[in-house]
Amino acid sequence: MPLVQNAPPIPGLQSGKKALVVFFETDCPTCQLALPYLNAFKRDSIQVIGLSQDDERSTKEFVSQLKISYPVELDSGLKISRAYDPHNVPTFYLFDESGQVQQTLVGFDKKGLNELAAAMGQPPIAPPDDGAPAWKPGCSSRHLHPSQPMSGCLGTPDLEPEIDGRTSEGSAKLLRRAGDPASRITLGDEEDPFEYCRQKFGDALPVIPPTVEKVEAMVKASGLAPEAIIARVPPFYGEATVEKIAANAVMAGCVPEMMRVLLPLVRAACDERFNLHGVQATTHFAAPLVMINGPVRHELGFWSKQNVFSNVARANSSLGRAFQLILLNIGGGRPDGIDMSALGNPGKFSFCIAENEEENPWEPFHVTRGLKREQSAVSLFAAEPPRGVSEHTAPAGKTVLETISFALATVWSYRTCLMPEAIVVLCPEHVKTIHRDGITKEQARQFLFENTGVPVRHYSKEERAEGTQLAANYKEITVRGEKCYQKFRSPEAISIFVAGGTAGKFSAVIGSWSTGPAGSQMVTYPIPDK
Amino acid sequence: MVVIVHPGNESVPKAAAPPARLASLQGKRIGLLDISKPGGSFFLDRLEEIFRTKYGAAEILRTKKPTFAKNAPPQVIEQLRGMDAVVEGLAD
Repeated sequence: MPLVQNAPPIPGLQSGKKALVVFFETDCPTCQLALPYLNAFKRDSIQVIGLSQDDERSTKEFVSQLKISYPVELDSGLKISRAYDPHNVPTFYLFDESGQVQQTLVGFDKKGLNELAAAMGQPPIAPPDDGAPAWKPGCSSRHLHPSQPMSGCLGTPDLEPEIDGRTSEGSAKLLRRAGDPASRITLGDEEDPFEYCRQKFGDALPVIPPTVEKVEAMVKASGLAPEAIIARVPPFYGEATVEKIAANAVMAGCVPEMMRVLLPLVRAACDERFNLHGVQATTHFAAPLVMINGPVRHELGFWSKQNVFSNVARANSSLGRAFQLILLNIGGGRPDGIDMSALGNPGKFSFCIAENEEENPWEPFHVTRGLKREQSAVSLFAAEPPRGVSEHTAPAGKTVLETISFALATVWSYRTCLMPEAIVVLCPEHVKTIHRDGITKEQARQFLFENTGVPVRHYSKEERAEGTQLAANYKEITVRGEKCYQKFRSPEAISIFVAGGTAGKFSAVIGSWSTGPAGSQMVTYPIPDK
Repeated sequence: MVVIVHPGNESVPKAAAPPARLASLQGKRIGLLDISKPGGSFFLDRLEEIFRTKYGAAEILRTKKPTFAKNAPPQVIEQLRGMDAVVEGLAD
């Protein structure tokens, strides 16, 4: 590798230790995917430094939201980028002990990252089966667009890679990062705008016409350029620009401040791990369940109490509906078209709940998912409709959990084990009883894992019922003295979420679609602070 | 008069022209793509047999998506390059 002559020093880089320096942009989806992997390095004998091509504010936000644990410096004026001249971001430079470039890696490449790890004497950092793609090309480096503003490339003709799986490896076919302005449709006085929008862009219910003024107010609240592309929405990979997201938000009845939640929600939905393409095209019941945590609940009025799954609060209903309209109008997942779900899901009108953190004696859901308590967050789960679990008579917390375990055994299909995951929505009365008996959240989850089973006597090879064909892989356990197959593959396949009103001992279990790296994985994204 | 902002995907999909229909399968190379749903192999096994014995296909290439829940990865599509025809087996 050539020595980079007369390059400005990289802030924080010490000689005498191997160092990995990664050039990145805060709004590059590949950088957002790649940089958290470097947290896995043990940094006692090596250095890891992130070098941001953006300003301090967006860099701080990036570091906080992605929980980057290694030092991140700013490349002010892009002087270092010009010297090293990476054509794309992320580009990783491995420096040897004397400060010479030993190896480079461009873009996100799990094999390449693990090779870099090996070159630094570290174990692999990118597991093959974590749901992220094996390879994803980077964006064009900021210094190659010197006329562009430093802070974000939004509204510029910058490019980002095609990621829809149709690009063959190694051919970095670049897609643009800013879309076209949305067309304006002029409706004459003889046309009813409500009826026009319902027919063309609705979810079978009337929508609010997305007038230019209303959409502009929504875009303004986002603080971003209207043409900035937030994500490409499967299955048709329509460009979700800020303006198009805003138009759908207006139609669904959102307040402009809701853009703060909608943008990370759209990004989360288009995260490869969530596999929205599959979720939208499956014949299964699945619909994305939106779960809200943190201070944003109070700031924007998300409801977490009685009727949490119902038509109770504008924030829940309008966010959930805006999201579904985005999936229909931008993603093309129309229920009368490519969405071939056999029975569908009432959640496809709107499916958004918030956690009742005030009635949750344990850590909130987003903290279990790895975020800080004071961080607002949105999580997505490819969900079956909720099924209720009534338990009004059992005095003991363990019995309540046992009652729930019987319902858990039925998710996906009774005899199918290992594949499904589930969310247990515990009502305040149930969680109070369980907590009163000294049971922690972790213990509750472990109990549900160990006590959810399907009796072996319910399987017959001759009947060939669903789930039977995989029984050789199932683990036998004993539940209430009976030989059973264990329903879930691990305790982590069960998540606990506290929601609902303080009266009524009714909880719910929510089954999943196909899970894991071959299906859909739950994703949690931070929501920016107010 | 009201002016509204188009809320949908405005990109026009580029339709690829379908290849010319094969006059016969005799001596042709046929790809069979299994999307990895249970039961798909029964259907494709039978098709392979018929293509070979009844229609004289020269080569049958069998390949499989790692999961039915996701798009076929580029390497699976690449395997099918050069086939005269491909059958994608959807099954449950």
